[in-house]
Amino acid sequence: MRRIVLWLLSTVSAVVLLFGYHTSTAGPAATAQAPVGASLATTSTTTTSGGTDPGTDSSSGSGASSSATPAASTLTGDVAQTRWGPVQVQITTDGSGTITDVEVLQYPSGNSVDDQINAYALPQLVQATLDAQSANIDMVSGATVTSEGYLQSLQSALDQATT
Amino acid sequence: MTTAVRARYVEHVMGMPISLALRGRHTDDARAKDAWAEAMAVLREVDRVFSTYRDDSFVSRLGRGELSVHDCPPEVAEVLELGERARRESDGAFDVRRGGVLDPSGVVKGWAVERAAGPLRVLPETDVCLSAGGDLVCHVSGPDSPEWRIGIENPHDPTALLATVPVRNGAVATSGLAHRPGHVVDARTGRVPDLVASVTVVHADLTWADIDATAAFALGGESARWLATRPGRTGLVVWADGRTELVG
Repeated sequence: MRRIVLWLLSTVSAVVLLFGYHTSTAGPAATAQAPVGASLATTSTTTTSGGTDPGTDSSSGSGASSSATPAASTLTGDVAQTRWGPVQVQITTDGSGTITDVEVLQYPSGNSVDDQINAYALPQLVQATLDAQSANIDMVSGATVTSEGYLQSLQSALDQATT
Repeated sequence: MTTAVRARYVEHVMGMPISLALRGRHTDDARAKDAWAEAMAVLREVDRVFSTYRDDSFVSRLGRGELSVHDCPPEVAEVLELGERARRESDGAFDVRRGGVLDPSGVVKGWAVERAAGPLRVLPETDVCLSAGGDLVCHVSGPDSPEWRIGIENPHDPTALLATVPVRNGAVATSGLAHRPGHVVDARTGRVPDLVASVTVVHADLTWADIDATAAFALGGESARWLATRPGRTGLVVWADGRTELVG
């Protein structure tokens, strides 16, 4: 996941380069990693405090007022198809072109469009005393269970449980 | 699909239990049983070719120098190539050749189960979870199918769970010494890792989930840091002192 985040940030940097903003973090390598199609939407709106609702189109007429720093803007990128799934980012810059906020609107996993693959879900720690039954578990992953050790394993208990 | 119907199957091959859970349309009819038989046939064939416990397997004969790779089924070259890639990407901690002995078991298991899941995945409107000794593949048939809930065993107490992870389409593999002390060593030093108790990797396919779990475990103290550099993986490292570290 860390690599994805780094990749996302480099994509953001590259996208910013496309629009001629100056940034000290975008290098040639970052540019090279920008996926085809990672262009910014041309619609940008002036925001008040960077609190754009990520669930709505940023170009909708929400009547964003002009109470913010004059040239600050929020840019929403197109959805880029990556090997991990669709990615969409939004950046906020201040008047001098410095990025003040990066928001990932759509992650490769956990979105409704492509939930067929969610191998990237994080394990969730549970109370150590839980057994397989009470945790409502379908299968157990553990250090290689041999056929000899199987009968004592949690998996064995699950396999014998009839539902 | 809402799926109350469920069937479970267990058989032993390659010295370990193979557990299958099915839910949905084909769980205990002829079609389900045929697919299960086909999956088991895949594993038995893999065992025949790759087992290091069988003197007459292709891999055993290859290891003794009686055969060349070209004399073996093409799957042998495929597995050796995976092993070579794993060696490079783990800085040598994972190696299918140690001290002149060829043992591709660390690659074969996940790769084989991924293949064995093939006939099960094509069962219409059926969700599949196939586990080989604790390394498993999950598949759901549609966007409305519920996730499979996978428990991650506590290496310090194999009767308890440490974590759960929901998986719809993907794989979970765990490497550790809880049931087979000493079966993973750091190929660079030949020593059994003593800082880490188990490593669990969640990934899109079991071939690389399994390789990475083994490689990360072999890397010992570097396991969590290394795993964090691997694209598309999440995981859980349980240290020997009982601390847990989520990666991803």
